[in-house]
Amino acid sequence: MASQILPLELIDKCIGSKIWVIMKSEREFTGTLLGFDDYVNIVLEDVTEFETTAQGVKKTKLAQTLLNGSNIAMLIPGSDGPESS
Amino acid sequence: MDESPRPPSPSRQSQSPPPPPPQSHTGSPTDFLKGVVGKRVVVRLTSGVDYRGVLSCLDGFMNIALEQTEEHVNGVITNRYGDTFVRGNNVLYISAAEPL
Amino acid sequence: MDPSVTGIQEPFDLIRLSLSERVFVKLRGDRELTGILHAYDGHMNLIMSDVEETIMIVDPDNIANGQNVVNVAKRKMDMLFVRGDGVILVSPPSRT
Repeated sequence: MASQILPLELIDKCIGSKIWVIMKSEREFTGTLLGFDDYVNIVLEDVTEFETTAQGVKKTKLAQTLLNGSNIAMLIPGSDGPESS
Repeated sequence: MDESPRPPSPSRQSQSPPPPPPQSHTGSPTDFLKGVVGKRVVVRLTSGVDYRGVLSCLDGFMNIALEQTEEHVNGVITNRYGDTFVRGNNVLYISAAEPL
Repeated sequence: MDPSVTGIQEPFDLIRLSLSERVFVKLRGDRELTGILHAYDGHMNLIMSDVEETIMIVDPDNIANGQNVVNVAKRKMDMLFVRGDGVILVSPPSRT
Protein backbone atom coordinates (compact mmCIF):
# COMPACT_ATOMS: atom_id res chain seq x y z
CA MET A 1 0.00 0.00 0.00
CA ALA A 2 1.51 3.28 -1.07
CA SER A 3 -0.40 5.81 1.00
CA GLN A 4 -3.84 5.97 2.55
CA ILE A 5 -4.46 9.57 1.62
CA LEU A 6 -3.33 11.77 -1.24
CA PRO A 7 -1.62 15.09 -0.41
CA LEU A 8 -4.38 17.15 -1.99
CA GLU A 9 -7.05 15.19 -0.11
CA LEU A 10 -5.49 16.53 3.07
CA ILE A 11 -5.59 20.07 1.72
CA ASP A 12 -9.21 19.51 0.70
CA LYS A 13 -10.05 18.85 4.36
CA CYS A 14 -8.61 22.28 5.22
CA ILE A 15 -11.13 24.24 3.14
CA GLY A 16 -12.74 26.81 5.42
CA SER A 17 -9.75 26.74 7.82
CA LYS A 18 -6.72 28.96 8.21
CA ILE A 19 -3.72 28.04 6.11
CA TRP A 20 -0.13 29.29 5.80
CA VAL A 21 1.32 29.37 2.29
CA ILE A 22 5.09 29.59 1.76
CA MET A 23 6.23 30.59 -1.71
CA LYS A 24 9.47 29.61 -3.46
CA SER A 25 10.68 33.18 -2.89
CA GLU A 26 10.89 35.13 0.38
CA ARG A 27 7.15 35.59 0.49
CA GLU A 28 4.40 34.02 2.62
CA PHE A 29 0.64 34.31 2.86
CA THR A 30 -1.93 33.43 5.51
CA GLY A 31 -5.68 33.39 5.17
CA THR A 32 -8.78 31.25 5.11
CA LEU A 33 -8.66 28.58 2.38
CA LEU A 34 -11.67 28.87 0.08
CA GLY A 35 -10.57 26.45 -2.63
CA PHE A 36 -7.87 25.15 -4.91
CA ASP A 37 -7.41 23.21 -8.15
CA ASP A 38 -5.15 20.45 -9.48
CA TYR A 39 -2.34 22.95 -10.17
CA VAL A 40 -2.56 23.97 -6.48
CA ASN A 41 -3.66 27.44 -7.50
CA ILE A 42 -5.21 28.62 -4.23
CA VAL A 43 -8.03 30.99 -3.33
CA LEU A 44 -7.69 32.67 0.09
CA GLU A 45 -9.86 35.09 2.03
CA ASP A 46 -8.83 37.67 4.68
CA VAL A 47 -5.26 37.41 3.49
CA THR A 48 -2.05 38.75 4.96
CA GLU A 49 1.03 38.83 2.74
CA PHE A 50 4.47 38.72 4.41
CA GLU A 51 7.40 39.83 2.30
CA THR A 52 10.83 39.35 3.86
CA THR A 53 13.37 41.90 2.66
CA ALA A 54 16.68 43.27 3.93
CA GLN A 55 14.65 46.05 5.56
CA GLY A 56 12.46 43.58 7.48
CA VAL A 57 9.07 41.96 7.00
CA LYS A 58 6.50 43.96 5.04
CA LYS A 59 2.87 43.04 5.74
CA THR A 60 0.00 43.67 3.32
CA LYS A 61 -3.70 42.94 3.91
CA LEU A 62 -5.65 41.60 0.93
CA ALA A 63 -9.26 40.66 0.20
CA GLN A 64 -10.11 37.47 -1.74
CA THR A 65 -6.99 36.46 -3.62
CA LEU A 66 -6.02 33.81 -6.18
CA LEU A 67 -2.42 32.63 -5.70
CA ASN A 68 -0.65 31.24 -8.76
CA GLY A 69 0.30 27.66 -7.91
CA SER A 70 3.54 27.77 -9.85
CA ASN A 71 5.15 29.92 -7.16
CA ILE A 72 3.97 27.90 -4.14
CA ALA A 73 6.48 25.80 -2.21
CA MET A 74 4.64 24.63 0.93
CA LEU A 75 1.27 24.69 2.67
CA ILE A 76 0.84 24.50 6.45
CA PRO A 77 -2.77 23.63 7.33
CA GLY A 78 -4.41 25.13 10.37
CA SER A 79 -1.69 27.70 10.98
CA ASP A 80 -2.03 31.44 11.54
CA GLY A 81 1.33 31.91 9.90
CA PRO A 82 4.83 33.12 10.73
CA GLU A 83 3.71 35.19 13.76
CA SER A 84 1.79 32.39 15.51
CA SER A 85 4.66 30.08 16.48
CA MET B 1 13.97 33.03 -12.06
CA ASP B 2 12.99 29.56 -11.03
CA GLU B 3 9.74 28.38 -12.54
CA SER B 4 8.17 25.00 -13.01
CA PRO B 5 7.04 24.22 -16.54
CA ARG B 6 3.56 23.00 -15.73
CA PRO B 7 0.50 25.03 -16.62
CA PRO B 8 -0.85 27.59 -15.98
CA SER B 9 2.59 29.21 -15.97
CA PRO B 10 4.74 27.47 -18.55
CA SER B 11 8.21 28.96 -18.52
CA ARG B 12 9.18 26.93 -21.55
CA GLN B 13 7.48 27.50 -24.84
CA SER B 14 4.81 24.88 -24.37
CA GLN B 15 1.54 26.79 -24.43
CA SER B 16 -1.28 24.51 -25.46
CA PRO B 17 -4.71 24.71 -23.85
CA PRO B 18 -4.58 23.22 -20.34
CA PRO B 19 -7.23 20.77 -19.19
CA PRO B 20 -10.07 22.42 -17.29
CA PRO B 21 -9.68 22.06 -13.53
CA PRO B 22 -11.91 19.15 -12.48
CA GLN B 23 -12.55 20.53 -8.97
CA SER B 24 -16.11 21.63 -8.25
CA HIS B 25 -15.86 23.42 -4.89
CA THR B 26 -17.56 26.70 -4.50
CA GLY B 27 -14.61 28.97 -3.82
CA SER B 28 -12.39 27.21 -6.35
CA PRO B 29 -10.03 29.28 -8.51
CA THR B 30 -12.52 29.07 -11.39
CA ASP B 31 -15.37 30.36 -9.21
CA PHE B 32 -13.19 33.15 -7.87
CA LEU B 33 -12.28 34.24 -11.40
CA LYS B 34 -15.91 34.17 -12.56
CA GLY B 35 -16.76 36.50 -9.69
CA VAL B 36 -13.90 38.93 -10.23
CA VAL B 37 -14.16 39.60 -14.00
CA GLY B 38 -15.29 43.19 -14.55
CA LYS B 39 -14.17 44.19 -11.03
CA ARG B 40 -11.15 46.19 -9.87
CA VAL B 41 -8.22 43.91 -9.04
CA VAL B 42 -4.59 44.01 -7.97
CA VAL B 43 -2.33 41.78 -10.06
CA ARG B 44 1.04 41.31 -8.35
CA LEU B 45 3.90 39.92 -10.41
CA THR B 46 6.69 37.79 -8.94
CA SER B 47 8.97 40.84 -9.41
CA GLY B 48 6.82 42.69 -6.84
CA VAL B 49 5.38 45.14 -9.38
CA ASP B 50 1.60 45.66 -9.04
CA TYR B 51 -0.91 46.33 -11.79
CA ARG B 52 -4.21 47.81 -10.60
CA GLY B 53 -7.14 47.97 -12.99
CA VAL B 54 -10.42 46.47 -14.13
CA LEU B 55 -10.12 42.78 -15.05
CA SER B 56 -11.37 42.35 -18.64
CA CYS B 57 -10.70 38.64 -18.98
CA LEU B 58 -8.13 35.92 -18.50
CA ASP B 59 -7.30 32.42 -19.75
CA GLY B 60 -6.05 29.13 -18.34
CA PHE B 61 -2.42 30.31 -18.35
CA MET B 62 -3.37 33.28 -16.15
CA ASN B 63 -2.67 35.56 -19.10
CA ILE B 64 -4.64 38.66 -18.11
CA ALA B 65 -6.26 41.59 -19.92
CA LEU B 66 -6.70 44.69 -17.74
CA GLU B 67 -8.37 48.05 -18.44
CA GLN B 68 -7.54 51.43 -16.88
CA THR B 69 -4.27 49.99 -15.68
CA GLU B 70 -1.97 51.65 -13.17
CA GLU B 71 1.54 50.27 -12.63
CA HIS B 72 2.68 50.55 -9.01
CA VAL B 73 6.32 50.05 -7.97
CA ASN B 74 7.01 50.33 -4.23
CA GLY B 75 3.63 52.01 -3.78
CA VAL B 76 4.34 54.71 -6.39
CA ILE B 77 2.42 54.95 -9.68
CA THR B 78 5.02 54.57 -12.41
CA ASN B 79 2.84 54.17 -15.53
CA ARG B 80 -0.75 54.25 -16.76
CA TYR B 81 -2.03 52.19 -19.69
CA GLY B 82 -5.45 52.06 -21.31
CA ASP B 83 -5.34 48.31 -21.84
CA THR B 84 -2.74 45.81 -20.74
CA PHE B 85 -1.96 42.20 -21.60
CA VAL B 86 0.02 40.53 -18.80
CA ARG B 87 1.69 37.21 -19.62
CA GLY B 88 0.54 34.64 -17.05
CA ASN B 89 3.92 33.22 -16.06
CA ASN B 90 4.78 36.51 -14.35
CA VAL B 91 1.67 36.51 -12.14
CA LEU B 92 2.08 35.91 -8.40
CA TYR B 93 -1.54 36.60 -7.46
CA ILE B 94 -4.80 38.24 -8.48
CA SER B 95 -6.55 39.93 -5.58
CA ALA B 96 -9.98 41.58 -5.45
CA ALA B 97 -9.59 45.33 -4.85
CA GLU B 98 -13.31 45.80 -4.11
CA PRO B 99 -15.83 43.60 -2.24
CA LEU B 100 -17.10 40.65 -4.30
CA MET C 1 -18.96 41.15 -19.32
CA ASP C 2 -17.94 44.76 -18.94
CA PRO C 3 -19.75 46.79 -21.63
CA SER C 4 -16.72 49.02 -22.23
CA VAL C 5 -14.82 45.98 -23.52
CA THR C 6 -16.02 45.40 -27.02
CA GLY C 7 -14.96 42.19 -28.70
CA ILE C 8 -12.55 40.96 -26.01
CA GLN C 9 -13.37 37.46 -24.80
CA GLU C 10 -9.85 36.35 -24.00
CA PRO C 11 -6.59 38.19 -23.30
CA PHE C 12 -5.10 37.40 -26.72
CA ASP C 13 -7.95 39.37 -28.35
CA LEU C 14 -6.26 42.48 -26.98
CA ILE C 15 -3.14 41.59 -28.94
CA ARG C 16 -5.09 40.59 -32.07
CA LEU C 17 -6.76 44.01 -32.13
CA SER C 18 -3.33 45.65 -31.91
CA LEU C 19 -1.87 44.12 -35.09
CA SER C 20 -0.34 46.81 -37.33
CA GLU C 21 -0.49 49.27 -34.40
CA ARG C 22 2.30 50.74 -32.29
CA VAL C 23 2.47 48.83 -29.00
CA PHE C 24 4.42 49.11 -25.76
CA VAL C 25 6.11 45.89 -24.58
CA LYS C 26 7.72 45.39 -21.16
CA LEU C 27 10.33 42.63 -20.99
CA ARG C 28 12.26 40.92 -18.22
CA GLY C 29 15.60 42.55 -17.45
CA ASP C 30 14.25 46.13 -17.26
CA ARG C 31 13.80 46.40 -21.01
CA GLU C 32 10.98 48.16 -22.80
CA LEU C 33 10.08 48.26 -26.49
CA THR C 34 7.78 50.37 -28.60
CA GLY C 35 7.15 49.39 -32.19
CA ILE C 36 4.66 48.25 -34.80
CA LEU C 37 3.24 44.78 -34.04
CA HIS C 38 3.21 42.52 -37.10
CA ALA C 39 2.73 39.02 -35.73
CA TYR C 40 2.30 37.06 -32.50
CA ASP C 41 1.62 33.48 -31.42
CA GLY C 42 0.39 31.61 -28.37
CA HIS C 43 3.80 31.86 -26.68
CA MET C 44 3.61 35.62 -27.08
CA ASN C 45 6.53 35.46 -29.53
CA LEU C 46 6.33 38.78 -31.38
CA ILE C 47 7.48 40.28 -34.67
CA MET C 48 7.84 44.05 -34.42
CA SER C 49 9.20 46.71 -36.76
CA ASP C 50 10.41 50.28 -36.35
CA VAL C 51 11.34 49.40 -32.77
CA GLU C 52 12.88 51.60 -30.11
CA GLU C 53 14.34 49.69 -27.17
CA THR C 54 14.79 51.38 -23.79
CA ILE C 55 17.07 49.73 -21.22
CA MET C 56 16.79 50.98 -17.64
CA ILE C 57 20.07 50.85 -15.78
CA VAL C 58 18.96 50.58 -12.17
CA ASP C 59 20.92 51.76 -9.15
CA PRO C 60 20.41 49.07 -6.48
CA ASP C 61 21.51 51.47 -3.67
CA ASN C 62 18.54 53.68 -4.38
CA ILE C 63 15.88 51.04 -4.87
CA ALA C 64 13.63 52.03 -1.93
CA ASN C 65 12.14 55.15 -3.53
CA GLY C 66 10.50 55.25 -6.93
CA GLN C 67 13.38 57.20 -8.46
CA ASN C 68 15.81 54.33 -8.85
CA VAL C 69 16.56 54.62 -12.56
CA VAL C 70 19.91 56.33 -12.90
CA ASN C 71 20.48 55.82 -16.60
CA VAL C 72 18.52 54.97 -19.70
CA ALA C 73 19.99 53.55 -22.89
CA LYS C 74 18.05 53.62 -26.14
CA ARG C 75 18.60 52.00 -29.53
CA LYS C 76 16.58 51.36 -32.66
CA MET C 77 15.95 48.20 -34.69
CA ASP C 78 14.17 47.94 -38.05
CA MET C 79 12.72 44.46 -37.54
CA LEU C 80 12.72 42.32 -34.42
CA PHE C 81 11.67 38.86 -33.18
CA VAL C 82 10.87 38.79 -29.45
CA ARG C 83 10.87 35.42 -27.69
CA GLY C 84 7.60 35.10 -25.77
CA ASP C 85 8.98 33.91 -22.45
CA GLY C 86 10.63 37.29 -21.82
CA VAL C 87 7.40 39.23 -22.20
CA ILE C 88 5.87 40.71 -19.03
CA LEU C 89 3.17 42.88 -20.57
CA VAL C 90 1.92 44.31 -23.85
CA SER C 91 -0.06 47.52 -23.94
CA PRO C 92 -1.84 48.43 -27.16
CA PRO C 93 -2.45 52.05 -28.20
CA SER C 94 -5.25 53.68 -26.23
CA ARG C 95 -8.69 52.91 -27.68
CA THR C 96 -10.25 56.05 -26.20
